[in-house]
Amino acid sequence: MRTLSPSAACLLPHPRSRYSPPRPRNRGFARGFPFFVFEAVLTDPSQPDNSASVSAEHLLARCAERDPVALRQLYERQSSRLYGIALRITRQPALAADALQDAFVNVWQKAASFDPERGSAEGWLTGIVRFRALDLIRLGSREISGLELPEIEDDEPNALARLVGSAEAAALRRCLEGLDADKRRLVMLAFLDGLTHQELAQRLTMPLGTVKSAIRRGLAGLRGCLEPDGSDRGQRA
Amino acid sequence: MSDNPTDRDLDAGEYVLGVLSDVEARGIAARAAADPELAAAIAAWQARLAPLAAAVEAVSAPPDLWRRIAAGTVLTTVAENPDQRPRAAAPEARMRRQIGLWRAVSAGCLALAAMFAGIAYFGHQPTARGVAVLAAAGSPAPAFLAEAVSGAIDIRPLASAAVPTDRDLELWSLPAGATRPVSLGLLPAAGRRIALADLPAERTQLLVSLEPRGGSPTGLPTGPVLYAGTWTRIE
Repeated sequence: MRTLSPSAACLLPHPRSRYSPPRPRNRGFARGFPFFVFEAVLTDPSQPDNSASVSAEHLLARCAERDPVALRQLYERQSSRLYGIALRITRQPALAADALQDAFVNVWQKAASFDPERGSAEGWLTGIVRFRALDLIRLGSREISGLELPEIEDDEPNALARLVGSAEAAALRRCLEGLDADKRRLVMLAFLDGLTHQELAQRLTMPLGTVKSAIRRGLAGLRGCLEPDGSDRGQRA
Repeated sequence: MSDNPTDRDLDAGEYVLGVLSDVEARGIAARAAADPELAAAIAAWQARLAPLAAAVEAVSAPPDLWRRIAAGTVLTTVAENPDQRPRAAAPEARMRRQIGLWRAVSAGCLALAAMFAGIAYFGHQPTARGVAVLAAAGSPAPAFLAEAVSGAIDIRPLASAAVPTDRDLELWSLPAGATRPVSLGLLPAAGRRIALADLPAERTQLLVSLEPRGGSPTGLPTGPVLYAGTWTRIE
């Protein structure tokens, strides 16, 4: 690239003036181009808001048909849950917001590929957000920011106590409680905080090999507990 | 990493759990693209482990996040229908002057972008559908290269960018004729990949501004624009 000579216009002096931002919370801007079109779509009285009775699966199906109201409803109902997940992994609001933005763009593009036979819509959304958040921190963004990251709090008992919302959560809790304390702790730290083998070994001052084998045995234990017959992979027990 | 079904299933579990390194995770993702059984195993682990996310407390997302998502998704769909095409809002004079200046700067970088476009087109990335070279005014070196990859823009530094620890770089898109840039999110010095439903239109400007940590609080650039470039489509 050094052999390419830049065009002369790239060498213009740096402009000193700055963008003049609108006043914060300026409602005129908030309703301005280009978003007002979108807000008009969303506040269209011909679209009754019966979102409380609509499942996430149904909203995903409507996203696949390019219904912007469905994406907005999905965002309203899932963004706090998903942002919490992304924030826990990235530990930085800006990165968590980037992860969620990328994830929702992804959801809009890939909604048609959601398969209810393979799991719930919430689980599918969780997976997309987690992979995006993990990608961002693996790119090194978590390290290069120069931020002091908040310490990870060890709240394993509380975390387990929150797994009560559904039959799936209750089954997972029962199976996690059936693991050795070490394996349970490693699996939960890995999933909730997005720690790699290496990070887990450092954090728990355990040998890397021990961490790796404990996690594989923990995963095998969970699978055996959730699906005792082992014949219906893909279906939850 | 084995053909043994049990090992393969545990590889999938490790991948979903998130314990693999960047290289290992990419390896699994690449294998899953060609191995439907591995892809199914990944989906199954996702379904098994997802309920654990209920242990995480919900946190309200930043108020501007929906606008960023809308800009990257639905608006591009709405804009496909000319009847729904928005009218431009009343422009702000200062913003206009600023944008005019940057138009002039990055128009010159177009020639450079065209060269990169040629390299991308005839080189090893036949799938690239567009490219932009971002340069700082006053510096001869291109700073970032933005390239289309499938469903996303990959933006990577061509030189190391020094960012003060209390600031962040933020990336903006300014379509030709528009008067307000739209945020595409923060830009780590190491670059990032940005998922977009539609690639930028021809001659859209990509701008990088220096912002307070966490990004612009107003939804428009508040700091100086450090780098700019013009998107060139490769068709």
